[in-house]
Amino acid sequence: MNEILRTVDLCKQFDNSCDVLNDVSFNVDKGEFLSILGPSGCGKTTLLRILIGLLPPTSGKVIKLGQDITALKPSQRGMGIVFQNYALFENMSALDNVSYALRLHSSRETANRMAEEMLELVGLSEEKYKKPAKLSGGQQQRVAIARTLVTNPDVMLFDEPMSALDVDTRLSLRGELKNLQKKFGTTMIYITHDQEEAFALSDRILVMDKGVIQQIDTPVNIIDHPANDYVERFVKKNIQIKIDSLLPFSRKK
Amino acid sequence: MMKSKQPKALTWLLIIFFLFSVVIPLGRMLAYLFETDVVSVVSSGRFMTGLVNSLTTSLTATLISVILAAVLAWSLERLQVKGKAVFAFLFIVPMLIPSISHGTGLVILLGRNGIITNLLHLDFSIYGFWGIVLGSVMYSFPVAFLMLSDILRYEDSTPYEAASVLGIPKRKQFQSIFVPFIRKPLISIIFAVFTLIITDYGVPLMVGGQCTTLPVVMYQDVIGMLDFGKGSVIGVVLLVPAFIAFVLDSMNRDHASLNFTPRQFEKKKSPVGMVACIIASILILLPIAAFLVISLVKKYPIDMTLTWFNVMKTFQQHAGRYLLNSLLISLIVSAVGVTAAFASAYLSVRTNVKQARILHLLSIISLSIPGIVLGLSYVLLFKGTFLSGTFAIIILANLMHFFSSPYLMMYNTLGKINPNLEDVGETLGLGRTAIIRDVIIPQSFGTILEMAVYFFVNSMMTISAVSFLSTYRTQPLALMIPMFEGQMQIECIGVVSLIILIINVLLKLLISTVSTKKRRDF
Repeated sequence: MNEILRTVDLCKQFDNSCDVLNDVSFNVDKGEFLSILGPSGCGKTTLLRILIGLLPPTSGKVIKLGQDITALKPSQRGMGIVFQNYALFENMSALDNVSYALRLHSSRETANRMAEEMLELVGLSEEKYKKPAKLSGGQQQRVAIARTLVTNPDVMLFDEPMSALDVDTRLSLRGELKNLQKKFGTTMIYITHDQEEAFALSDRILVMDKGVIQQIDTPVNIIDHPANDYVERFVKKNIQIKIDSLLPFSRKK
Repeated sequence: MMKSKQPKALTWLLIIFFLFSVVIPLGRMLAYLFETDVVSVVSSGRFMTGLVNSLTTSLTATLISVILAAVLAWSLERLQVKGKAVFAFLFIVPMLIPSISHGTGLVILLGRNGIITNLLHLDFSIYGFWGIVLGSVMYSFPVAFLMLSDILRYEDSTPYEAASVLGIPKRKQFQSIFVPFIRKPLISIIFAVFTLIITDYGVPLMVGGQCTTLPVVMYQDVIGMLDFGKGSVIGVVLLVPAFIAFVLDSMNRDHASLNFTPRQFEKKKSPVGMVACIIASILILLPIAAFLVISLVKKYPIDMTLTWFNVMKTFQQHAGRYLLNSLLISLIVSAVGVTAAFASAYLSVRTNVKQARILHLLSIISLSIPGIVLGLSYVLLFKGTFLSGTFAIIILANLMHFFSSPYLMMYNTLGKINPNLEDVGETLGLGRTAIIRDVIIPQSFGTILEMAVYFFVNSMMTISAVSFLSTYRTQPLALMIPMFEGQMQIECIGVVSLIILIINVLLKLLISTVSTKKRRDF
């Protein structure tokens, strides 16, 4: 696989506080699904905001397709982001949500045509005139993804988009997200504190704690060969406890 | 989050604006104390009598007002009452007319030649302690009702259900669940209502008679004798309860802003609620009916012929011109107020400008300044300047007097809108302005309308902040009421009160229809 994104020694300090990120270096390949996993406050959202350009790093670089994009504006980086709870424009229909940004550079007709095509690709043609409040959780997620995909990004970032949803919805949305990734072949970087979610979705997982990368590897390798005590405790044991607690029930059946 | 220099510059601009329009005027009033013989003012018989009267009438009226409001709010929120929306609207109607009109309503109903006095052949005087108490209850009841309804509406029924399952008796549930729940907000409400009553001069001016309260002393001494020193001393005294109410409210507000959806109560069937609401509505509508009678008959009770005579008489005394003044002032206050309150709330909630906390504090500070005190501060600071005697100073005074509540409405609304919208805009190449124009404003449109109505309605009926500031040319309509009171033209007060009430009710109904339609669109 070809490398699409690389970070070099990213550091971030906020005023009067210790390091939020400390020498964070990793790479992402084209078409890969990478999850960044860690507890609340470990620096994963800060990392995501630096990648998209909403926050400048204190030092270090973000390289995309061999080009240093650290100083570029978010809209110039060829990346898209899906935020927590999707941040849809509640006053606009699904179609307007997707076409809104396109209207900046194209006529309304062209923008609407492109948005309609995108909504068809994500299976929302029937719902295009509905406002977000009238859509299901899965449909809202697809609108948010369509809104980002229509700008043709090379990399899509997800900032804990399912953190506020119930378990059933999360399970069904995971499947939808994975299908969309297969369909579009887009590189995805997904932030979560939920181990299950990371293991279910990812090609590789980056485990973070206190602003430092603890391990970056495939889910199987993280389980089989945790790099240190922290990874073993935070990831492996948690998963193992859940599996152990479910096993007696599955055996009964 | 916003990183450009514009929000910081705008924050500073608003901070400077608040400094000049609130902090410095208030500082000027406090500085006036040094030029005044405070001891002789405070030890004077007139001050002491005013203080005692103010405290006793306000305490009594607060107690009655809060109890009545609690009964009616509880009836509407916990019992099945048909026509709840109509009653809820009727209960806030007294908020739509000036406080001085409530005093007038009482005089028309229970004065020496009052409608009820004549009907029942009563022989007593409404003027004095009980007149102030009754008028103040009518004036403050809607505020207490709205606050208590809000608290009861957001109470969670789950603890009561859990207690019932555990077999805990109702009396114990009341003591251990309801009392701890209501204690803090109730203290806050009591102080807010007390402050509203003790700082009002409209009701005691009309029905106080020999029972003079501090705001009346302040009004008469400043307007009549230009005794600004005494005015300043009373102003500082009136700031005390207002400041305590402000602190208590701020403490409880932080607590209440948690994002929580309560489980609703099962409403019980009971005729008690309906009966209470009907009786309250009749009592509330009585003064308004009295305004109608007194305005539309030639000379109550001598000549009961229906006529437009009193309306014509009121307009012959330039009510039309003063009405235009009021409409102009209210419209400008609404437009400027909504813009400034939106900008301040936006900067406080949705940017990370460090100075936004100062801006937030300055935006809510006017909650702690009674209108009459603000008016006096403006006179002291701006007398002799280019602002003196202009519409601008009246607009500014109203703007600051009523700023905090609409600001807090928008502050709460913006806090509930997804915090990532501006970031979405930035990543999609849309500017912050576009997101504000196309997403934030449409999403907060209902609140914007509510804010506009709040500024408009209050500017239409206020007399407290503007009484020291208006001139013959800039006088708003509501200030004709104390003028007519001085001339004993009580019919004209009825006409003016009705005009203000009709405009405010129509506006409220119009905006409520538009808001409902907008809500359905989402």
